[in-house]
Amino acid sequence: MIAVRNLSVTYRSSEREKRAVLGVDLAVERGRMVALAGESGSGKSTVLMAIPGLLPATAATSGEILLDGRDLLTCSEAELNAVRWRRIALVPQGAMNSFTPVLTVGRHVEEELEVHLGLSKREARERIPALFALAGLDGGLAARYPHELSGGQKQRSAIALALACNPEYLLCDEPTTALDVVTQRDIVVTLRRLVDEQGVGMLLVSHDLPLAASVADRLCIMKDGRLVEEGEPRTIVDHPANPHTRALVGALRELEEAP
Amino acid sequence: MRRRTLTRRWSFWCLVLLAALALFGGRLFSAPPDAEVAAPFSKPFWLDRSLPPTVTADLTPDAPSAEIPWSWGAPSRFFVAADMVADAPGRTILWTKPGGRTVEIAPLKKGVERDGRDMAFKRALGLPPFADGAASLLDERGTYRLSVDGQGPWEGTVRLRLDGGRWGLFGTDQRGRDIAALFVAGIRVSLLVGIMATLIATALGTTVGLAAGYLGGWFDSAAMRLVDLLLSIPMLPILMALAAIWGKGLWQLVLILSIFSWMGTARTVRAMTLSLRDTAYIEDLRGIGAPTAYILRRHLLPETLPLLLATMTLGVPGAILSEAGLSFLGLSDPRVISWGRMLHEAQTFGTFTAGAWWMLLPPGLGIAVLCLAFLDMGKYLEERTDPRLRGGALS
Amino acid sequence: MEVYGLDKPMLTQFALYVKSSLSFDFGISFLTGRPVADELRSRVPNTVALLGSSLLLSALLGTWLGIQAARKRGGALERLVLWGGALSYSFPSFFFQLMLLMVFAAAIPIFPLRGSLSVPPPLGGAALFLDYVWHLALPVLSQVLLGFGGWALYVRNLMVKILGEDFILMARGRGLPERRVLRGHAFRMLLPPLLTILLLSLPGVVSGAVLTETVFSLHGVGRFLMEAVTGHDYPAAGASFFLLALLTVASTLASDLLYGVTDPRVRLERGRGR
Repeated sequence: MIAVRNLSVTYRSSEREKRAVLGVDLAVERGRMVALAGESGSGKSTVLMAIPGLLPATAATSGEILLDGRDLLTCSEAELNAVRWRRIALVPQGAMNSFTPVLTVGRHVEEELEVHLGLSKREARERIPALFALAGLDGGLAARYPHELSGGQKQRSAIALALACNPEYLLCDEPTTALDVVTQRDIVVTLRRLVDEQGVGMLLVSHDLPLAASVADRLCIMKDGRLVEEGEPRTIVDHPANPHTRALVGALRELEEAP
Repeated sequence: MRRRTLTRRWSFWCLVLLAALALFGGRLFSAPPDAEVAAPFSKPFWLDRSLPPTVTADLTPDAPSAEIPWSWGAPSRFFVAADMVADAPGRTILWTKPGGRTVEIAPLKKGVERDGRDMAFKRALGLPPFADGAASLLDERGTYRLSVDGQGPWEGTVRLRLDGGRWGLFGTDQRGRDIAALFVAGIRVSLLVGIMATLIATALGTTVGLAAGYLGGWFDSAAMRLVDLLLSIPMLPILMALAAIWGKGLWQLVLILSIFSWMGTARTVRAMTLSLRDTAYIEDLRGIGAPTAYILRRHLLPETLPLLLATMTLGVPGAILSEAGLSFLGLSDPRVISWGRMLHEAQTFGTFTAGAWWMLLPPGLGIAVLCLAFLDMGKYLEERTDPRLRGGALS
Repeated sequence: MEVYGLDKPMLTQFALYVKSSLSFDFGISFLTGRPVADELRSRVPNTVALLGSSLLLSALLGTWLGIQAARKRGGALERLVLWGGALSYSFPSFFFQLMLLMVFAAAIPIFPLRGSLSVPPPLGGAALFLDYVWHLALPVLSQVLLGFGGWALYVRNLMVKILGEDFILMARGRGLPERRVLRGHAFRMLLPPLLTILLLSLPGVVSGAVLTETVFSLHGVGRFLMEAVTGHDYPAAGASFFLLALLTVASTLASDLLYGVTDPRVRLERGRGR
């Protein structure tokens, strides 16, 4: 279990301080999907990036991030590297260019298999089609360079890459932004299947409240760095307790009823 | 460590000082920079105090004698010359040693000259041919006296020069010219060439860049191909060839340099024009029928000006270095004193054989400091126009 | 008249000139009376040795320094690189070389003052080689000292940009060891522009050879060009410029080709272009 306890993050630059996250508590268990929703700038991506220790050097953190009882915030870079990808993998934002442009997407997956599982180049190559299939992709795309893939293909490749070492937890940062509605649905379905069939524990960060509510087992709402509401998705959508959530849900209703 | 005000940049004061020297520095020296003032390869005066200095004295009818205190070894040269309106029969030039012994140097005649190295003069003094005239005339320590003796009227000047081994702040070069004076004269050339060449290049680059960016089409592609072409050509050999064919004058050099350094500006200005061209207010102007030339001159040019000032300042070191390089290779007018020329002469005559390092340091460091100052100034201007760069490179 | 073919019509003369130039026959030098091609043949190896070794060394040193500076922003090394770069752009190269000569050849005679070989040259292969290296040491050293700052600054700027990219953060996030992130991803991204600039800098480096060979009195192409131009030796100057143009075109072409090989994104654009 990943347990985030009283996490606070402050970005420091020479001119000012920005408190991005304030005392957030969160738990992700295996086989369950937790969605973290909120408007942009609410600190939800910061929470996600803090878990594998990927915040920039200007960020100061306090609190605890426990992975089965071990605090990741106090781990050294080498200890973190042992956890990263083998136990906790990441599906980055679709808009992010997360692949090195001069390497094929397949090469990225091979590298993880070689580094973390100690496979030979050939063994690694043999595993790629299965991994790509798990992410709903044709294995032939592995020979392509990132710029030769469409947005949806790239996002699925990122999922395949995340699954390379069969991780226990998957952190998905806005996995569906910048994609069309049909592809969004497909990818969310793929993610849900990973939770149900592979028993992956998933943290899904999204600003898309209805999408998050429709797939997650548990929904957390963030605003201005604080967790303002947490519970069953259906309950929150039907009976929002917090005024901010109410406003969010209200806006949603109006949109749905407008046509 | 943010220095945002102009007056707190070292480069500002450095440039002010150099500009002041270029304008008024000539007045610090009594002789013009190309005059021979002391023995060749004289050391700077502060370097070796045991060496005799260079002493001059003038005798006139009002002051017919001069005292010369001397507490060093023999000078390298003893030289007396009379600049007379007419011969003065009955008068002679006398040299009195500290012990009171008197030597007759020469009768006071029009155009008479005596040099310690001269055979006839040595014979007249009763010295063997291989003796050192200067050494025998200054063989004691104390106060010597040069005077015009005898009866009768005379009009003119008798000039004495004792060449020691030291002169001025920076010593002298292979022709006995004052290096400090040459250095000051060189500032003017470097500043003139550097600033003029960049000015012309900037004007050229701005015109091409504005036109290419605004007009687009075939002119744009032709201009940009030309820029690519010129940028890929190695500059120095072309400059050498042009300087050899076209002549070595200063203005030719300025023109040659500017023809080959407008490309960067053209690119920058074009990029800026392109981004400005499609902004709403320029489109509105076009919509109400403003003529192209008007839009370019009144709206696009002022927008690019602050940036231009920075790129221009950053371009000056390149021009200065090119001028220095060409002059160093001997491809400049030998009559024009410039820092590059000084380095050329230092290398050709004597820096290494005579060990005269003082010929090398002033012009070389001068070029380096001037270039660094312009670079720092340019960075400062760049930061002012583009605040994102603040806290960057050299601040 | 006949020796230079001046009795033929203008256009024929030009055609003949182009034809013979293409077969590396540049005629006879006005100054030395020897064939220009022979003269060049004896000089090209010296210039290649000088430029090749100094370019390689300064690029290697500069790249290493640039990468280290980019990794530790704000450190002493980064400040050194920034200042070194500024100095290499503003310091007159020949002055620096003259100073080196003054100190290490005139004042403390460790290195020779001038020339590519001792006069008379020592006998025996090894002794000859050592003598050659000894004469080349100071010129190469000076070029490396002058050149690495610019390289380091260039690499540092590129590397700072690359290290700030998402894919580097992600490579770290994937638990790759730092070495692998730097070599496999960051340096791999640096390679295409680095190779391009290395090749494109070749013609400019040759012009630098004019000054270096003049200062150190080396028997090379740069000084040949210089003497040809100042002595109005047209066959020699023409040959030098022909070679320089050839080098410029060849290096531009090679850099284009190499970029296509090292960066897949360019390959695609090419494919679409056709």
